[in-house]
Amino acid sequence: MNENNPVPPQIPPSESAQKFAAKIYEPVPPPPLSGPRPLGDDPAERVPIPHAFAAIEALLRQPRRLLFQLRQPGAGELIAAMLFTAFVSSLIYGVVAGTFSGGTQLWIAPVKIAAGLMISAGICLPSLYIFTCLSGSQARLSEVAGLLAGMLMLMTILLIGFAPVAWIFSQSTESVLWMGLLHLIFWLVATLFGVRFMKAGYSHANAKSHAGLNVWIIIFLLVALQMTTALRPILGKSETFFPTEKKFFVGHWFDCLKSSVSESRSNGRD
Amino acid sequence: MHPPAANLKIHPAEIATLLRGESEAISGWSEQWNPPRLLLHLTVIVLGAGCYGAAMGWWRDPQQALFVAIKFPLIILLTMLGNALINAMLAPLLGLNIPFRQSFSAILMSHTIAAAILGAFSPLMAFLTWNAPLMTTQAISLPAYNLIKLAHVAVITFAGTMGNVRLLQLLVRLGGSRDVAFRVLFAWLAGNLFLGSQLSWILRPFIGSPTLPVQFFRDGALHGNFYENVLSSILHVFPND
Repeated sequence: MNENNPVPPQIPPSESAQKFAAKIYEPVPPPPLSGPRPLGDDPAERVPIPHAFAAIEALLRQPRRLLFQLRQPGAGELIAAMLFTAFVSSLIYGVVAGTFSGGTQLWIAPVKIAAGLMISAGICLPSLYIFTCLSGSQARLSEVAGLLAGMLMLMTILLIGFAPVAWIFSQSTESVLWMGLLHLIFWLVATLFGVRFMKAGYSHANAKSHAGLNVWIIIFLLVALQMTTALRPILGKSETFFPTEKKFFVGHWFDCLKSSVSESRSNGRD
Repeated sequence: MHPPAANLKIHPAEIATLLRGESEAISGWSEQWNPPRLLLHLTVIVLGAGCYGAAMGWWRDPQQALFVAIKFPLIILLTMLGNALINAMLAPLLGLNIPFRQSFSAILMSHTIAAAILGAFSPLMAFLTWNAPLMTTQAISLPAYNLIKLAHVAVITFAGTMGNVRLLQLLVRLGGSRDVAFRVLFAWLAGNLFLGSQLSWILRPFIGSPTLPVQFFRDGALHGNFYENVLSSILHVFPND
């Protein structure tokens, strides 16, 4: 009987079996930015990053690969390439920011933005290393510098992504306040992703706590914001390269807001 | 791997597949550049949004219809191009590891769906406009104006919503997770709305005004922006007296 029928009868799969099958065949989501898995357990993460373009690709799609490579001997070249990319990217974004005023701002704005970003990073690197050590991490200075370089590169690459939008707005408004606000929003979004990368790297550094990193992030934000005021004007025009008056960024913003609102109200009454 | 040449052949009926949201076929299309398909989608955007724009501008003047027929597809295409880079960067950062080609194709297809819907509604809007009292410099019928304006809002909202529903389905299929798809869609939408609003502001007018001349750009098109204008309006609601 059964011997004559080699094909067994079709038994409809149970509901749990169907769910199990659906789970197995479900498309695998991309690896998370951070996780309990040790870096380099996937062979793809061990592939060296030969140049800056590969570093950009890895930063966006395989951040774990970049984090693994930053821990390898000879990561200095990679860090230098990332810093160079961040510098060039910030120059490109600076040119777009400079189109708002045109003229000399086409070179002043990129120089100020790129220099300001690099100086901010340089000022904050020692404190980042100290906070890393205080949190119990065994990370070396080069690893910490690599994380900072990765954060800067991600931020500036994202800013280039925002550049076409920033250019359209800079051609259609005369308000420095508005353009400043727009650039600030773009910078904050870019920084958010940069900080996320930094935290992902930090989670692999055996730190006992992230409190130090969180404090450092606030410090970095304050330094970068103050840098925009210390190097003003970046968007508007000025007769001098550096400002003649010292101000804190909150005071400067408040002054700008006040003058812009009073200007807007007086225009409305004409 | 390069697809076989036969796969490059496309048929205009593929637009129906797109409208039905057949994710399997659509995700396959997004995996490779196919110039004829790209051309088909661009043609649908230019024709669909163009016809709708013509129906919108016709009430004011035939010349206004021509201008809006050019401007409407232009807004869609410029928004897509302006945000292409940042959208491609945001997708992997938010958990959807797709290449630039795929993110661009996905957004292009969602706009194609919206444009096809707009194109299908353009005869209806043209009929509505044809039945409305003439827009003259002497008088404009406010009820008619409001009706036409609301009808445009309803149709554009419907087209945009359907385009995004289909885009969400595609993103779920590509990413395998609803949460990731929602995150990416939200980020893309925010960027597209932000830039799209400003481009619409620069390229105004659309319906037109009987008291203002027919123009491609208003005189102060590049003075001020959409959000500045909204802020200024809010400030003038609360005068400083």
